[in-house]
Amino acid sequence: MSRNNVRGPTSALTEFLRASGITPSTIASRAATRNQQRAEEQPVAGPSRAANVEEAEPETTERRRRPRRRASGYASDELDEPEGEAVDEDAMDVDEEEEKPTPAKKRKLTKAAEAKLKAKEKKKRGKKDDDEDYEDDEEEDAYTALSRNMMKNAASKPPIGSFEKCAVCGKQFTVTKYTMASGSGGGFLCHNCAKAGGNDPFKKPAVPKKRKAPADKRTVTNFEEKRFPTLVSLCIQLITKHINDIDALGDIGSMNVEAISKALSKNRSLTQENVHLFYNPANASLALFDATNLPSPALETLAYHNANLVSLRLDFCGHLDDTAFKVFSTSLPALKRIELLGPFLVRSPAWQEFFKSHPILEGFLITQSPRFDDECIKALVKNCPDITDLRLKEVGKLDDSFLDQIKLFKRGLSYLDLSDPSHSCSEKAMIALIRAVGKTLTHLNVSNHTDLGDQFLAKGLLPHVKTLESLVLSHLPELTDSGVSEFFENWTRNNPLTSMDISRNETLTGISLNSILNHSGDGLLELNINGLKDVEEEALRKIGPTCPALRKLNVGFCRCVDDFVIKAWLEGEVDKGVGSGFCSRLEELKVWGCNKVTLSCPKKKGVSIFGVEFHRAR
Amino acid sequence: MPMATSEYTTAALATNKEGWVRLQSTDGFSYLVKRKVAQASGTIRNMLDPEGGYAEALNGVCEIQERGIIVEKLVEYMSFKTYYESINTKDEIPLNEFLERIPPEIILELYVSRLDVL
Repeated sequence: MSRNNVRGPTSALTEFLRASGITPSTIASRAATRNQQRAEEQPVAGPSRAANVEEAEPETTERRRRPRRRASGYASDELDEPEGEAVDEDAMDVDEEEEKPTPAKKRKLTKAAEAKLKAKEKKKRGKKDDDEDYEDDEEEDAYTALSRNMMKNAASKPPIGSFEKCAVCGKQFTVTKYTMASGSGGGFLCHNCAKAGGNDPFKKPAVPKKRKAPADKRTVTNFEEKRFPTLVSLCIQLITKHINDIDALGDIGSMNVEAISKALSKNRSLTQENVHLFYNPANASLALFDATNLPSPALETLAYHNANLVSLRLDFCGHLDDTAFKVFSTSLPALKRIELLGPFLVRSPAWQEFFKSHPILEGFLITQSPRFDDECIKALVKNCPDITDLRLKEVGKLDDSFLDQIKLFKRGLSYLDLSDPSHSCSEKAMIALIRAVGKTLTHLNVSNHTDLGDQFLAKGLLPHVKTLESLVLSHLPELTDSGVSEFFENWTRNNPLTSMDISRNETLTGISLNSILNHSGDGLLELNINGLKDVEEEALRKIGPTCPALRKLNVGFCRCVDDFVIKAWLEGEVDKGVGSGFCSRLEELKVWGCNKVTLSCPKKKGVSIFGVEFHRAR
Repeated sequence: MPMATSEYTTAALATNKEGWVRLQSTDGFSYLVKRKVAQASGTIRNMLDPEGGYAEALNGVCEIQERGIIVEKLVEYMSFKTYYESINTKDEIPLNEFLERIPPEIILELYVSRLDVL
């Protein structure tokens, strides 16, 4: 028995039991006593009063038995000879071995099985229990059951190497790793007795499997490695493999080069190896939609290999720096139109040099350049008088002085995009600009010039613009319903627009939309009223009958859009009969943020509806 | 070889997960593939989704707007993918075998044609 007094934390129940003198070992020996008693009772038919009396005093029994088993020096207790137990100990133990299941077996019994056993025992012992007093009931309760834990505790072994007396034969033996506890509670068995009891001392203790099993089962997959390459990546592999033998890839000229370029750009797979696919000295135009992976030297190569380019478009050309851009200046003499998205690294002197070397430039379209400054626009105006298309979108330094320069283009601008500056240009300067260049404009984008308001429409566009086809007035918070409607009502000198974008003006309502439809409905191919949250259903429904040619419609975040409105656009108003009053040529409908649109919104062949919230993401 | 169109009961196909679907090319070739294989492509999966309410889901015929040879390679890839994705081994996938079966002259067309996700 371990004499270690150090104890770990215990529960309140354990503490209580200990205070009441109930420990695992007492319970174990109590159970052992009972088993023994049963063994003794067996010959006696039926329960006897004496046995019951004795059972009512388990403490005494236990106290008496313990010292004998453990061979401790608690001799005084041995005097307490109980009435019914005057049997020779050895004989008793033999009985025990015969009657009881073997200790190992017993240990394996589940609690349920033990409870069953108890019940059987109770039955056997008869009806007397029914009128037994409280004490007896307590004796019978489940606490006496030997739980596995208790057995373990009862059998906490003495240190290996110490001497112990065998609980059966009484011989002294050395405690080893394989020493087994005697099944009857206290004491340990020597090797021989353990073997005689039918146990294999060398049997490995049952591993507590139950605890480990759940840990094994819980395999949390944090990410799944995508081992399987996509067909796209395989194709790119093949293209790259055959890049030096372009003829093997077939006649590219017969295919839509732009489609291939778009596809290659879609997952950023255009590299300096496979970009050669598109290079050809005879190329007049080249469009790369994602040049992210093309470093500066690759862009130089581009200029050398496509010397006759007239039109060049590079999207995401972040690597385009001064060195590469200088090659553009010197090696692309025929260039008339250049469109760049994100030429951050090109500095002012490089821009100016480029303009000097390209006096025939007609289209200059850049987006996102923090370095394009006043000097650049002056150089552009001075060197390239033929500019008709100008885009300075998201150019940080755009201000009123730019506008003064832009006025000076002699040829007459048709395309002008000055949207998304860092700071809005003033309304006055913008009106002056439109007065100067408005006559020839076909496309105008002044989005996000937040200072522009109704005056810009009334004094700028209304009197000076008459050939406009496409107008973008996105995010101009100063615009009001009355200003917009008045403008469109009076703008009769301009033909209907083909494209109108008045998105993100949340103060505008159906009044504005109405006036736009009245003015341009017949000609509109594209309409964007994204973010006009308060447009009424009536005005929305009017889009159907007034815009027969509409191809693309964006009504994102218009709160009144629902299934019925969409139905009206796609199929016409029911009461008016089929075939009239709907957008019969609609191809694209965007309804992002229209949360009244449900899964059952009407569909029509040839019309792609984007942004239905109820559509499952796949 | 173009196959004769056989009649499928629409309801059976819509519900039958194990069924076959027909992929039709623009020039009259058609390929019968297991539904599971066809669903390796996101586009075709959406086409065949009974919840999507497309005609393809009902009659189990998907028209692929490509030439026969392209559709054939797409089908080949889908079978290849379905097979090697279902077996859970660390073995090397015989990609080269597949790559060698694609003639260079159709790579670009195949590339541009790819049916989403594929």
